[in-house]
Amino acid sequence: MNINPTDKAQPDAGENVLLEQRLAVESIRTFLNSKTSYDVLPVSYRLIVLDTSLLVKKSLNVLLQNNIVSAPLWDSQTSRFAGLLTSSDFINVIQYYFSNPDKFELVDKLQLDGLKDIERAIGVDPLDTASIHPSRPLYEACIKMMESRSGRIPLIDKDEETRREIVVSVLTQYRILKFVALNCRETRFLKRPIGDLNIISDQNLKSCNMTTPVIDVIQLLTHAGVSSVPIVDENGFLVNVYEAVDVLGLIKGGIYNDLSLTVGEALMRRSDDFEGVYTCTRNDKLSTIMDNIRKSRVHRFFVVDEAGRLMGVLTLSDILKYILLGTN
Amino acid sequence: MSENIINENGKDLSMLDINDANTGVNDDTSNLTHSFSQMNVDNPNELEPQFTSIRKHRSTLIFDDEDEIPPYADHAEHGSGNVSDSDSMSDGSVSISDSGSNINLNSYSDSNVSYIKQSQSTSDTDHMDPSVMKNHTMNIPGATTDTLSYNMDQSIQKSGSNSSTPSYNNGTVDTQQQQQQQQQQQQYHNQNQSPSNTQLKNSQGNIMVPVDITWQQGGNKVYVTGSFTGWRKMIGLIPVAGHPNLLHVKLQLPPGTHRFRFIVDNELRFSDYLPTATDQMGNFVNYLEINEPIPTITQQQQQQQQQQQQIQQQQQYPQQQPQYEHVARGQDIQHLPQGQGRKNFDQEANDIANKKPLSARSRIALEIEREPDDMGNGFTRFREEAPLKEKIEYTQDIPAVFTDPTVMEQYYITLDQQQNNHQNMVWLTPPQLPPQLENVILNSYSNSQSSNNENTSGALPIPNHVILNHLATSSIKHNTLCVASIVRYKRKYVTQILYAPLQ
Repeated sequence: MNINPTDKAQPDAGENVLLEQRLAVESIRTFLNSKTSYDVLPVSYRLIVLDTSLLVKKSLNVLLQNNIVSAPLWDSQTSRFAGLLTSSDFINVIQYYFSNPDKFELVDKLQLDGLKDIERAIGVDPLDTASIHPSRPLYEACIKMMESRSGRIPLIDKDEETRREIVVSVLTQYRILKFVALNCRETRFLKRPIGDLNIISDQNLKSCNMTTPVIDVIQLLTHAGVSSVPIVDENGFLVNVYEAVDVLGLIKGGIYNDLSLTVGEALMRRSDDFEGVYTCTRNDKLSTIMDNIRKSRVHRFFVVDEAGRLMGVLTLSDILKYILLGTN
Repeated sequence: MSENIINENGKDLSMLDINDANTGVNDDTSNLTHSFSQMNVDNPNELEPQFTSIRKHRSTLIFDDEDEIPPYADHAEHGSGNVSDSDSMSDGSVSISDSGSNINLNSYSDSNVSYIKQSQSTSDTDHMDPSVMKNHTMNIPGATTDTLSYNMDQSIQKSGSNSSTPSYNNGTVDTQQQQQQQQQQQQYHNQNQSPSNTQLKNSQGNIMVPVDITWQQGGNKVYVTGSFTGWRKMIGLIPVAGHPNLLHVKLQLPPGTHRFRFIVDNELRFSDYLPTATDQMGNFVNYLEINEPIPTITQQQQQQQQQQQQIQQQQQYPQQQPQYEHVARGQDIQHLPQGQGRKNFDQEANDIANKKPLSARSRIALEIEREPDDMGNGFTRFREEAPLKEKIEYTQDIPAVFTDPTVMEQYYITLDQQQNNHQNMVWLTPPQLPPQLENVILNSYSNSQSSNNENTSGALPIPNHVILNHLATSSIKHNTLCVASIVRYKRKYVTQILYAPLQ
């Protein structure tokens, strides 16, 4: 990228911004194509794997203890990778228990490999089992990641000697976008307002208010297929958000008694290190957005107007989709 | 002379070839080193025709050597440069003869070469000493050997009980010859070629490994900055002559993993030709893992060699005269009866011994130790019979002591009674953990909020290789077992933590 904005004459600045953004996006794509998932792994890193015979409530503790929201599963019977455990699995269990309150015994003794039965019982799609080889281009991994509901893609390889699967790592949308924000200087040329890019989800935006029962919000998460529900006040001003990962804290310790709480009360159980709610306006540039991704662990930006009224949401997958496939 | 004659007996064949090649100049094939140095100095015209053929051999034989010398492999991996490759190869080999054929020494002596910025032309005068001795003991044709080198050989045989592969011998001799020739040639061509695989100690006494860092993706002003300079200092790369677009810099780095990036015309970049990773902050960087060379010689010896090199250097600059002198001396050794020749050796050995703390004899012993049993001409070295090993039987049955608790109890009671050290139930205490396993890198993983933002990829400190493939475990809580193991995945390390229920 040898584009220097000052080189060009002022009158066609708008056109210039357009060209710059197009070239920058192309450059980022080339970069993602030139590197493999393996290339971007740290030299040394940890990976938490859960055995499928682990109880669901124990696995919840493990996730919370390690401050993670997802983990790959390992079937020690078959020595194979058995999918990813994500917050949506816990939401499934909550929904199952809510409609079958008499099955507490079952839910309490549920193992991770029993999650399939829960899915079937409540009629949701099964877990993502998609994976990709670490030596495939990063771009390909990103595409596969976007197609998955969880926004993550496990990297699976085969051991050369035993021919058995190895879980190498799991890539997440946030990790990729942060990587791009940190290491692609081209992101600073993404100067077009996000409102012009047609990447904001503002149709059929689901929201709730502080007094909505948390179980309704949880139902909304699954039915709308979203990872968060914004909480607004009576005037439509954004006040908070309920995220899918918040359910982990809600049923901490395998206690399902708190499902009758309102969402406002449920949020009290959120841990202190909550990143906060990030907002932006339609006039903000993607370069600013990327800058925020680089600096903090943000998973979505709520688009508000000047007064702070909720207008839409810009998720990480919206951003990733634009960078990978966007045409304008 | 073709390469396909190098088979299992190939070494011998090539050896013969060289002998044949030599006969034109000197019928006495026993001391190849001398005849060659003589050739170069006295009959330079005759050098040319033989040179090519010997080179050929070198190309095949050097691989055997390479396999045994890790630094070469390293070198190839770093791909320091195409032209310099063959040259530096010979650099390494030059020091084989310098250091008296102890092949593992070569990198050390090499380092000295580079350290004192010595030119390529290691003088014949000095490296003669060890190599002469070596050739003497190794290549003396049948008849004369028995009586004359007996004493020496006796001591050598005893010390050299575990020698390396048989093919090694000729390979070394071979290279030695070629080294000398190439050396001579290089004297004309590139005096300032610096050896590439060097390792030396810095002033603090830490081992430093030379690393060639290259940049081949364009740009005019290229700098490298990294963990080795605290990301503060930038080190400029210099163009490689004859290779447009190729820049390099040679750094002396301590063993470990080093992260770095390039600054190309004021732009922070990374090389597509070097391994990449993200660091704990998520920055994409190049990295290199530098292994500590296996220490094969003592520090004393190393110093000694450094000294030797320095002396060598001093003697080298007084120009050609000493070389001639020495050639004359070498000739003497060839034509004189072996006894006299030996006297000469002893004299030289004494010379060395006077300069160095280690005795010449132990030096020779060390050198010979690595040489093969097959001494050529149908001679093999005498060895004491290794003590017969007890025959071990294998069985599928688990001994009762492990299956029957009563037998096990009896066993341990007996064990206790046998040990009269008043420490009851010693066997109950597990052995102490090796100190390197005390430091579990997972324990340094910070779960604190501040690091959460940055460390999204679960990056950990780079583990020491000795802790790889060990199983770590935490205490069992809530009936859940948590085990962890660090394994290598390609050139990276995965610390897998598995949670499983106790059943």
